[in-house]
Amino acid sequence: MTTSRPLGAVAVATAITLVLAACGANDQPATQAGSDKAERGGTLRILSDGQTLNYDPAKSSNLAITSLALVHRRLTGWLNKPGEQTKVVPDLADTGKTTDGGKTWTFKLQDGLKFSDGSPITSADVKWGIERSFAPAFSGGLGYHKQLLEGGGDYRGPFEGAELKSIETPDNTTITFHLARPYGDWPWVVSTPAFAPVPKGKGAEPDYGEHPVASGPYQITKYQKGVEAHLTRNTNWSTDKDQVRAGLPDEVVFQLGQDASVISQRLAADSGDDKFAFGSSFVSPAQLAQLSSNPSAKSRVVTSKSGALAYLSLNTTKAPFDNLKVRQAIQYAVDRTSFQIASAGNADLAGAVATTLITEGIEGREKFDLYPTQPAGEPEKAKKLLAEAGFPNGITGLDFLVQQGNNFPEKAQSLQASLAKAGIQATIRTVDGDSYQTETTGEKADYSLTLSSWQPDFPSANSNIQPLFASSEIGNGGYNVSRYRNPEVDKAIEEAQATVDPVEAGKKWAALDKKILGDAPIVPLIYTRNSFLHGSKVANFFIADFPAYPNYLQVGLTK
Amino acid sequence: MRIAVHLASRLASALLVLLLVALATFVVFYLVPADPAQASCGRPCTPQSLALARDFMGFDKPWWQQLPEFLVGIVAGRTFGSGATSITCDAPCFGYSFQQNTDVLTLLGDRLPVTASVAIGAAVLWLLAGIGTGVVAALKRGTAWDRIALATSVFGVSAPVYLVGLLGILLFGFTLDVVPVGGYVAFTTSPVDWAWRLVLPWCVLAFAHAAVYARVTRTQMLDTLGEDYIRTARAKGLTETKVVGKHALRNVLLPVVTIFGVDLGSLLGGAVITERVFGLPGVGSLMIDAAYGRDLPLLLGCTLFAAFLIVLANTLVDLCYGALDPRARLS
Repeated sequence: MTTSRPLGAVAVATAITLVLAACGANDQPATQAGSDKAERGGTLRILSDGQTLNYDPAKSSNLAITSLALVHRRLTGWLNKPGEQTKVVPDLADTGKTTDGGKTWTFKLQDGLKFSDGSPITSADVKWGIERSFAPAFSGGLGYHKQLLEGGGDYRGPFEGAELKSIETPDNTTITFHLARPYGDWPWVVSTPAFAPVPKGKGAEPDYGEHPVASGPYQITKYQKGVEAHLTRNTNWSTDKDQVRAGLPDEVVFQLGQDASVISQRLAADSGDDKFAFGSSFVSPAQLAQLSSNPSAKSRVVTSKSGALAYLSLNTTKAPFDNLKVRQAIQYAVDRTSFQIASAGNADLAGAVATTLITEGIEGREKFDLYPTQPAGEPEKAKKLLAEAGFPNGITGLDFLVQQGNNFPEKAQSLQASLAKAGIQATIRTVDGDSYQTETTGEKADYSLTLSSWQPDFPSANSNIQPLFASSEIGNGGYNVSRYRNPEVDKAIEEAQATVDPVEAGKKWAALDKKILGDAPIVPLIYTRNSFLHGSKVANFFIADFPAYPNYLQVGLTK
Repeated sequence: MRIAVHLASRLASALLVLLLVALATFVVFYLVPADPAQASCGRPCTPQSLALARDFMGFDKPWWQQLPEFLVGIVAGRTFGSGATSITCDAPCFGYSFQQNTDVLTLLGDRLPVTASVAIGAAVLWLLAGIGTGVVAALKRGTAWDRIALATSVFGVSAPVYLVGLLGILLFGFTLDVVPVGGYVAFTTSPVDWAWRLVLPWCVLAFAHAAVYARVTRTQMLDTLGEDYIRTARAKGLTETKVVGKHALRNVLLPVVTIFGVDLGSLLGGAVITERVFGLPGVGSLMIDAAYGRDLPLLLGCTLFAAFLIVLANTLVDLCYGALDPRARLS
């Protein structure tokens, strides 16, 4: 257990602020850098602090716009641009049709698609890829489909000779899914990695991800763990048949196992091959402070407009947070300004104050604020609500569970200090990431409060709300950390999930956003921002409203 | 005969140490609430999919059953899962990393040349620099040379390798642009490139380690130079070079060899920070990844490997004692 050190947090935060302010880092961050036009050709280098790359679609939880999608296409893709909501668009197939209100979905593949080995991509290959993701040997990827497909719960993959009957392939270009219940977001689900084709009968070996058969613009020609992955053109891929990938560079080289600080220094120095490179990991606030004294490097920093929702979870199953008025009091007590400073030194770099569960760039998002307050909080208003709740002398003895790393303890200390101003005394308990995961997603939850963040796996409000607030997600590895249970909300979530029309569904999710926040199981804090740095010859490097990562598929180089 | 018995007893105690390390690693992992199968469960992770992942990896059993299975695997090999997707790990199987899709021994074998290149090159540098500086400081006691050597060694001992590494990259890699800032080229590909890319890591590691050797050498040398047998050697008319090089240095080397054995053993087990800073794909980087990714089989393999090297280094140090000091010989 770690004791809290609020003064230390304030000192660190103040120091970061002074450094950033002195360096002029308070300028508004850009979501796109450079105006040079990206040209076809060249070798794009991606500097990664990870030791490995996972190119097995069954085992991947990659977003549809990052590294995996350079090699593997899926049934649908994402079209994302700064200032616009991210849309589901055709990739291998169209965006699907349903004839029975979302329980059965049919997708039509484009004609003439080919794998990198020259063989045609058929619906049977897509089906094989999905079935393969059910095999215990290939677990680990995004698996929203596993519970949704009829019979999926008991299916163990195609290698034991059985096929999943709820996926039908009446011809080479048609694939039909029978779901256990209506699901309006199925076109989004089929954009997850498991919906990439794997040639039927292949992929039984555990290292398939090191030499997969490609369907995207690139294929892996060399892969050395901890060193590099070398991607070259898949000559059987055609830009005419792909509207989500520009496929501009001739080659893409991932340099693996690089130290994040060194990546930042290399890209700032911008010499040699590093001019044609970008870093795949976030630029930390400390690194941003260093970069701000280098105008060239500063102009090459790209920061997301928005990002994951950082929030304070209140354990609704434990007193005093089983009392709505207490939970509402916390909404006013929290000082989001000091949280921003503790996060990244200032509000611009940390991200805007959050008041909704649905994040930017997602259909249905409505701006509202049920608890309008000063960013620095209103402790007196919180005290008044506490008195009404039967706690006129404040609250003591709260257990504030925090995980180590990523500045979480410092951020928690800033919240602890603001709660104390409203007469709420919390003791911070810092644990490692594994212990945190076990306690927050397990059956037994002793904590009163905890600090979390969440970014949806696909751009639907469903992915913002259901994993965090459906009662089915309490314990058993689920992420309903506030242990919020409301049968009305559960029912409304199911209804919204079953709604096929995105606009109609969006309205239902927006209503749920308000309904849940009315119960105040969490305190939305900020929409966190991510910053990335690239070399001077990298073009079309942008971060759209969702997700808060650069779109690898559109990046090109200039000469 | 006596030597054979001694070696057998050393071997038995080494095996016991390795067994205890394996046991401790298993117990530690089961005491902390880490579930290696969780990392391979996917999202959303249902209890059903978690149970399947645990079953496939063999983590569904309690640790006292897993440990014997692990030990048996070393001599008989192991198979995970069944049917077309089963994974075979041939003997000697020191575990299988499901995250890297490779058996642990192969992973260690792939990474060892990098770590050995870093460690041995740096060791040569720090021995030369450390012992040389220590001898000079002792012989020039109280002079400016002595004070400079002491001050430098204090900095070397105190400064974290991470900081020295980053400063080195900043100064020599970016500002002066005289050495590459990272990456690794195999010796067999290009010996010149291999050495050129390792110059900075060698210097950084040598700087940190040489400081200790300089201080130990200086202290030991000063003590030894005051011994009666040194006075006798001088009285016999031996040259100062012979007095220092032949008589004093031999005595000084005893503690140096002890530290060197442990240092080199530890470093071969993974120059964790140096490899990370310089982006070198060695055992240290592998170990960090295993720890972050809750890759228990890989972490266990790395830990056992590091323990093996330290045990081996200690055994070699014992044998070196005999060569350096006749009093330590068995017969």
